[in-house]
Order: sequence, then C-alpha cells, then structure tokens
Amino acid sequence: MNKTININLGGIFFHIDELAYQKLKLYLDAIRRSLSDDPQGRDEILNDIELRIGELLSERITNDRMVINDSDIDEITKIMGRPEDYSVDEELFEDEPKYSKSTSSKKLFRDADDKFLGGVCSGLAHYFGMDVIWMRLLWLVLFFFFGTGFLVYILLWILIPQAETTAEKLQMKGEPVNISNIEKKIREEFQDVSSRVKNGVNEVTDTVRNAEFKNKAKSGIQEVIDTLGKIILTIFKVFGKFIGALLIFIASATLIGLIVAAFSVGSIEILGFEGDFMEYPPFFFDSIMPMWLLVVFGFLAIAIPFVVLFMLGLKILSSNVKSFSTTTKLSLLGVWIIAILGLSFAGINFATQTAYDGVHNQTENLPIAALDTITINMIGNDSLSNEKELRRDHNYETVFDNDVEKLYSTRVNVDIKSTDKATAFVKIRKESDGKNRLTANKDAESIEYKFSLSEKNLVLNGYFLSNLKNKFKDQLIDVTIYLPVNSVVYLDASTQTYLNDVDNVQNIFDGDMPKHYYKMTENGLECLDCDPSIFGDDFKRDNENFKLNIDENGVEIKVNDGDKNAEVTIDENGVKVE
Amino acid sequence: MKIENTKAQMRKGVLEYCILSILQHGDAYTSEILSELKDAKLLVVEGTVYPLLTRLKNVGLLNYRWEESTSGPPRKYYGLTETGKLFLKELNTTWSELVEAVNLVTKK
Repeated sequence: MNKTININLGGIFFHIDELAYQKLKLYLDAIRRSLSDDPQGRDEILNDIELRIGELLSERITNDRMVINDSDIDEITKIMGRPEDYSVDEELFEDEPKYSKSTSSKKLFRDADDKFLGGVCSGLAHYFGMDVIWMRLLWLVLFFFFGTGFLVYILLWILIPQAETTAEKLQMKGEPVNISNIEKKIREEFQDVSSRVKNGVNEVTDTVRNAEFKNKAKSGIQEVIDTLGKIILTIFKVFGKFIGALLIFIASATLIGLIVAAFSVGSIEILGFEGDFMEYPPFFFDSIMPMWLLVVFGFLAIAIPFVVLFMLGLKILSSNVKSFSTTTKLSLLGVWIIAILGLSFAGINFATQTAYDGVHNQTENLPIAALDTITINMIGNDSLSNEKELRRDHNYETVFDNDVEKLYSTRVNVDIKSTDKATAFVKIRKESDGKNRLTANKDAESIEYKFSLSEKNLVLNGYFLSNLKNKFKDQLIDVTIYLPVNSVVYLDASTQTYLNDVDNVQNIFDGDMPKHYYKMTENGLECLDCDPSIFGDDFKRDNENFKLNIDENGVEIKVNDGDKNAEVTIDENGVKVE
Repeated sequence: MKIENTKAQMRKGVLEYCILSILQHGDAYTSEILSELKDAKLLVVEGTVYPLLTRLKNVGLLNYRWEESTSGPPRKYYGLTETGKLFLKELNTTWSELVEAVNLVTKK
C-alpha cells in the first residue's frame, strides 16, 4: 500500500504515489542544478521540461491505472535523459555573453560606468548587494574621520580590476553575497546531499533485492563519502569567505592604526598635547638613527605583513583580484628585510646604551655649625609635573621645561650622616648608565638637580630633570647631608618617602622619622621628641630594663636589673621611692 | 576515449542545424520537433533539446507562441525568426561544404 500525492505538472493533474513523487522531485532538482549555469533561462527550460513530462505521463495513464508509479518515472527518465545531458556546450553561444554567463557567483570589479573616482565604491556596492550611495557615504566618513580611508581606497583602486567586458560587468552584478544567499546556497547543497544519501540508500535497498549487494553497496558508500566531502567543501568555502572578510578587516584596521600612529609620532608635539600621551619604544631614545627613520622602519616592518594579509583576504573573497607582480613581491620582501635589519640595529645599539655606569659627585658646604637647628624640606614642581602627590618613585614623566621636553623623575634618595667637620655640607651623587664610562659620566653630570638653604631651612628638590633620551638609563640622585655633632635637625613631612636608610640611635624606621627633632650624635641621629613606640626593635630590646616616663601625671622611673627593682615616682601624692 | 562520447559529440554538433531545418517547413511544438529528431535517430534522450531551444530563442533565432490544444494544456509552438532564416541559410551552405569535404577525405 502506498500513499498518493496530487501534483500539477505542466497544467495537467496527476495522482502520483509517494515513492514516485520523491523520485520525480529528485530528478527535477538534479536538472535544476545542472542548469544552474544559466539562471535566466533555467526556469523557462524547466517549465518546458515539466510540460513535456506531463505530456508523456498523460499518455501512460489509462482508465485502469490512475496512479503514476515508480516505473513510470524510471521510464520517463530514460526518455528524457540523465541530468547531465541537459547541459549545453558553452562554446556554441560564446559570442553572446548575455546568455553565456559561466558562473553565478559574483566577482569584485571596479564599475567604470558608475564612478566618482575609481569606481571602487560602486564595485563594492555591487559586490555586497547594497545601494552605491551608502557605500559612498561610508567611504566619505572614512575619509573625513579617519583620513586614512583614502589610502585603503587607493590600495583597492590599484588592486581591483575594472570591469571591461560585458561578461565581467555581469559577473560584477551577479547574485549578491548576503546572508540569505549564503544560507540558500548551503541549503541547496544540503538538499543535494540528503537526496544523494536517499538515492544511495534506495540503491542499496534495491540492490539487496537484486542480490547484487556487494557491488552496489560499495558505490552507495562511495557516494556518501563523496557527498560528505562536498558538505565539508561547502562549509570550508563559506568559512573561507568569512575568514577572508575577517583578514581584510583586521589588516585594514591595523594599517589605519599604523598610519595614524606614524603621523602622530611626529605631530603630537605640534598639536600641543602634553605629558605621556604616547609611549615610545625604548630604542627611540638616544638612538644613533634619526627618529623619522626609526618611524619609517617600524612602520614598514609592521605594515608590509599586513598588506600581504589584506591581499590574502581579498584573494579569498574574490579570486580575480590582481596579485602583486613578482618584482613587487620581491621588492616588498626586500624593503621589509631592510626595515627589520634597521630595527634590529637600533635595538642592539640601544642595548649597548646602558652598558656602563657613570657617576658625578658634587659637594657643597652649608653654613651650619654645631648647636644650630635646621629644617629639611623636599619640594616638587607643580608647574612641571602632573603628579598629585610628591613622593619618591621609579617612574618617569615627560614634562616641558621652558618649552623643552624633559624627563621628570622623583628618584631621589636622602641620607643624613654625621661629620667631624665644624660646618655641615651636602654631597650630591648623580648616577646614569651610558654606552661607555665617559658618556655615562657626562650623562650623569647633565642631570639637573637643585637645592637651597635659607634661614637654616634646607630645601631639597624632590625631583630631577634630565634629557628625554635618557629615559632608560637608570638615572638617580643620592643626596647625603653631613651634619656636625650636636646640631639639631627637624625633618619635614615632605621628606617621608625620600629618606633612605638614615642611621639613627633609636633605630627608627625611615617612614616614621619625619615630623620630629633629632640631634646629631657620633652614632647618627637621636630623636628628641619621638614616642618610644616607633623605636626599632633592636633599640627597645637594649633598653627594656630601663623605663622613663614623664607626662602630665608626673615622672616615673623604673629600673630592673635582674633580681633587683628600683622605682621612683613623682606625682601629686609626692615623691615615692622603692 | 569512449565511442559513445564521440558519437554524442557529432550528433550534438548538428542538432541545432537540424532543429532549425525542421522549423523551416513551418512552426512546430516541442513534441513534434522531438519525435522528428528521434525518428531520424539524431536523439537518444530528449533532455538535450530543451536548453537548446530556449537558448536559440534567447539569441533571437527562434520565437514561440502558445496555442490551445484539444487534448490537454496549451502547447508551445516554435518558429524561425528572420535572423533564424538567414542563420539557417548560412548553415545550409556550411553543411554542404562540410559533407563534400568529409566525402573528399573519407572516400579517397
């Protein structure tokens, strides 16, 4: 028992059983595919074919047998021929390109008939199946807002061939590559596959019946493998287009970025941006090559691979994009190698910049004698630096000092030591790396560092200025203040982060030292007004047998010498001695 | 090389000439053209003819009209256009030249 289906074939009404219907449908689909070279004539041809099949079938229908069955369809296919027989030799109609379109897929050309500059926009619009006005607007935006869209445009102008023959013009306007068409294509391909699988299965079952299993089963399996291959191929094609588009996108984004960057390196100062707007690569500093050459080398070294990527993406998307000639390819390669070599040279040169350490020492006397009290302050420079807080760190800031670009660093170490001399002095030690000892010393000497003394108030700069090219030369300043014994010093709060391992009797941690008075002793500073809680552990341990406490309650002295205790208390109750 | 392929090629080459020749005696509908070709053993399967007819029509050698039929749906009648007639005339001379040439070569 079979289900029947009603169909209309060429205007004639038929009952057809399900299996026969499937067969007929597959047959017509196969013909449709074999005619897909000719999308315009295809529907017309198919109509004619359906008409004829209808005619042939109606001859076979008699009153006794109303329903079209499997064998009828087999008979029809025998008369009509295999799907391959429907294709016509292209050469016959070669000089009539209007009807001899070879492929349905679209190619990228420039449209010279509808051009504003090079016809790139209209070509792209044809390719993506959109209205040319939107494409033009898009490019206009790219021109104005990114400027560099222009370069991409020129590149496309060179690379995309112009549509010259009628055939090319038609190819240019072929089916738009949009999602629905891609989907359609995939669906077609899947239908093809599923029908093939069905065919294969049918064949297998048929042949089981015919007891020729061995031979035909193999062909069935082969067919399945073939069609599997086709699925994979189609997926790869679609995927490939996607990758191509992605490549183009990445490459052009990078190129645009690069061009912007290349222009900016030279122009940021002109535009008046201040501070660390851009980070230069390390080897840009104090290089033997001029900055512009490094920029050009850097640009080429990165841009050329991306131009190649861009080309590759275009190639994947559209096979007829012009390739670079061998000469162009080789010269591109050559230029790239030169750029890479240039950069490596600059890099090596940079590496040797810091091979040696250089030092510059400077000593100045301060009119401070014993019993004098001085104050030590650190100051920053708000008009130069953007930092909110004045503190020592290892960062470098790029600042403008009287319109000269300079490095600003707060890497200043302050130490205080005692001296036997009658007056105080300060020693400034400047350090820098350099290519050799001599240049290192010179670079060290060129560091700008100042301090001043007025009214017993020593004001040290909490920063130094240096040439911009010295950014990676590990420069720093050590300030050592030598004070005569018995002089008193007050450390201002601003010194907190700058103090570096200052010797003091009570072993107070550098960070706790400021905002207190100290007397210089032979062993270092001794705090006069510190709370014992900030004293170092070592000091506390040495003095834990002795406790002296003077406050609003009175005086308390406790001495603990192992087994003997002594305690003196003076308070409102009087003096108590134990 | 399969003999069938060569035969098919040979037949295919003269097919359009034959179609045009059939139509010079008057318009005909698809089935008539097909049966005439089949009778002459020029055609093994019918499939080849449909795209050919459409293309000949598209390049302007043929035209067609629909005609009601007593038994069944309307039929598509093909006829020669003026260019078709000129085209055929030229093919006629080419064909006789070809026959002569082939005779000359094969019957030596």
